Amino acid sequence: MTVEERVINVTAKVLHMDPTEITLDKSFTEDLGAQSVQSIELVAAFEEEFDIEMDEDEALAVTTVGGAVNYIKTYLDK
Amino acid sequence: MTSLAEKIARAAGLPVSGYFVREYLADTFAQRVSDVAVNNAEVLKRDDLLLVNARVLAIGLTIETGGAERAVWVAEPPKGSGHPDVGRQLAWLRVSKETMKPLAEKPLSEIVAHLAEKLPGEEKEVILADYLWNLIHHNPDALKEDFALLGKKGVEGRMHEQAAVVGDARNLWIAPGAVVHPFVAIDVTGGPVVIDEGAEVHPHTRIEGPGYIGKKTILVGGKIREGCSIGPVCRVGGEVEESIIHGYSNKYHDGFLGHAYVGEWVNLGALTTNSDLKNDYTGVKVYVCGKVVDSEDTKVGCFIGDHTKTSIGTLFNTGTVVGCMVNCVAHGGLMPKHIPSCALVIKGAITRGQKFSDIITTARTATGRRKHQLTEADVALLEHVRKLTRPELVEASRRDRGALVGQA
Repeated sequence: MTVEERVINVTAKVLHMDPTEITLDKSFTEDLGAQSVQSIELVAAFEEEFDIEMDEDEALAVTTVGGAVNYIKTYLDK
Repeated sequence: MTSLAEKIARAAGLPVSGYFVREYLADTFAQRVSDVAVNNAEVLKRDDLLLVNARVLAIGLTIETGGAERAVWVAEPPKGSGHPDVGRQLAWLRVSKETMKPLAEKPLSEIVAHLAEKLPGEEKEVILADYLWNLIHHNPDALKEDFALLGKKGVEGRMHEQAAVVGDARNLWIAPGAVVHPFVAIDVTGGPVVIDEGAEVHPHTRIEGPGYIGKKTILVGGKIREGCSIGPVCRVGGEVEESIIHGYSNKYHDGFLGHAYVGEWVNLGALTTNSDLKNDYTGVKVYVCGKVVDSEDTKVGCFIGDHTKTSIGTLFNTGTVVGCMVNCVAHGGLMPKHIPSCALVIKGAITRGQKFSDIITTARTATGRRKHQLTEADVALLEHVRKLTRPELVEASRRDRGALVGQA
């Protein structure tokens, strides 16, 4: 699976949504309705999925699914 | 009533001429003792010196300042006293100006090590506050001694005629500007009570001595049981027993806090409660700097660092350690027994869910509400604590994130 697919699948699981409803341009809070606690769960879930430790200040500043994909790709490329 | 340093100075009959603290604490500490030098080696050169271990708990203690140079060591504490088995510990050094002269430019740790080895030694029974629970354990005796030496008693503030003193009223001092409302009971049969300047005790509060209610603290109803030191500028209600609550912290609502040590600017939400006794009455084990220590004490509550907040209904197990700037969101169960600084706890899992900038914004709001300003030194200290404890937070959040994701 690609990073995009994995991010979408993780987002769908945490937010209890169908993956087909999630696209890269969607905002976690405004479009997908993520509550503040779910934002924390998303960060934890991405870390678990990709086995990484993201800087929380940077990770919590990411607002969209595409932003998360880019951030994680950048992190994995380091 | 008096600080640990004031107790030491009183035991020695000398004013404090200088403090030496960890470098990262120096700027913040200097804000609080603006009339005394902090980490200034010049004070080591001026006169004959008494260098005292800051962990000396000067209760019922006389520190002899005259006589020959000495390295005074702590006599071995009795077994079961909850002190670490770390070999001999230094209590203080009595050293002449001449001896100090060739040493004064060296780092303090080297000076102390050198003098401890070279000066004639003697042992003395001295209590050291090795762990926070030692402070709680000895606080009732400290309060009694402070009151005896304070030399003040009676009602200088206002005490409503329908407030009652149980026991000898000479064991009570209500300072000028303090107000005690009707339907307050102050029981001094077990020890003295001081209600300091500007403090206010609302109706339906019972205070048991020994106890100290600090300046401008408001007790909003509840049971303040024996051995408590609270304040200044705290708001406290519910049930509190043998606990130390530092300045500007709030526990406004019901909930039990026992044998607890609470830092500054802490806010405990309604019904926040800690256990201080295990169901099997065995000694409480506490996480201290990466290892679990047996307190050798059956009554140990929780330890909460500065700027930590708890939500309604937060539950802490016996001997829980909570760092600074933690945000605990209750989930119905017990919080983890060790929560590193800056953590956000949700669903019982430790996460790195707080941005540091948000933590500082909240701290500025909290201090602003009490007309205080968070200084650059304060922020630098919090940032240092964050860096110092970050490995613990990363490890704990990595450990817990699987369980958190599994609940999602």
